[in-house]
Amino acid sequence: MAPHLSNEQFFSSLTDLLAKTSQKARGSVFLSQKPLIDGVSNAPPSILIRATDGNTNAPNPKSETKDGKITKKSSSKDKIKFSTVVNANDLEAFYTRYADICKAGMTGLKKRDRSKRKAKGKGGAAKAAKA
Amino acid sequence: MPYLPTSQAFLEQSAQLLEAYPETTRITTKYHFPTETPGARSKRAKSQAKKAASSTSPSEPQTPSTQPQTQTTAPVAALTLKTYNPTTGIVLQYQTNKIAEVTRLITGLGKLAAGADVASLGLSAGAGLAGGDVEMVDAPVEEGVAVPAAAVSAGQGGKSQGQGQAGKGKKKGGKGKR
Repeated sequence: MAPHLSNEQFFSSLTDLLAKTSQKARGSVFLSQKPLIDGVSNAPPSILIRATDGNTNAPNPKSETKDGKITKKSSSKDKIKFSTVVNANDLEAFYTRYADICKAGMTGLKKRDRSKRKAKGKGGAAKAAKA
Repeated sequence: MPYLPTSQAFLEQSAQLLEAYPETTRITTKYHFPTETPGARSKRAKSQAKKAASSTSPSEPQTPSTQPQTQTTAPVAALTLKTYNPTTGIVLQYQTNKIAEVTRLITGLGKLAAGADVASLGLSAGAGLAGGDVEMVDAPVEEGVAVPAAAVSAGQGGKSQGQGQAGKGKKKGGKGKR
């Protein structure tokens, strides 16, 4: 497995991955977090954060050729995965940026709908003007 | 496994699960677009375009051409949070499609990662399962002011309103404690 990225590199890769997925409007991004507990020290554990696009590098078993061999189609893309380790001390700063990047990158989600409130505001203003 | 009704309940119960099994529990966040065939995609785009045209034409005759197009072509993505403990097989899930919730959820995950217990998530102490309900009872004074706006902006039936309220309750609780 590829070595862990630094936190900065992780953020830039994550920004790219989210942007790409949102732009294509298909596919997924998986982000997982778990503590790295070594069982020796009692200090609060570092957190391992992984990101992937959910693809696989393994060939599809259904695409078996006549002679029983399974080969990966060259057209299917490689899996994207990267990870980083966050020290317990940096967690708060990391998650603040993490949240910002996720919010900025996940443009496929529903925006906050302000149109109705605005319309209501306009209506109220009009009424006030009339009265 | 069932989806929890509020992000609040999800964070609380995840905190409890992490407390019980800190070594094996992991949290996965999945940002995903719905899978759909090209046919379904064009169908949905058509119906959305129709809807947009009929809803905007009475109030605004000069429909801006750029915005509806970008909205109709993209399906709405979703964010699913999953706390999984493989040894016990416990799964807690929460799903949303609102971008407004993302920051709160991720900072919540950060608190969980830092080992926050239920009490330090800014909730009533030891709330457990009933936490969401207790929270809403707790903050009716401020809620009264906030509910009309929240109800209008959410505008999707009781479930999403409940989420909004629970979120508000949590935020206020957090500020008060600090």
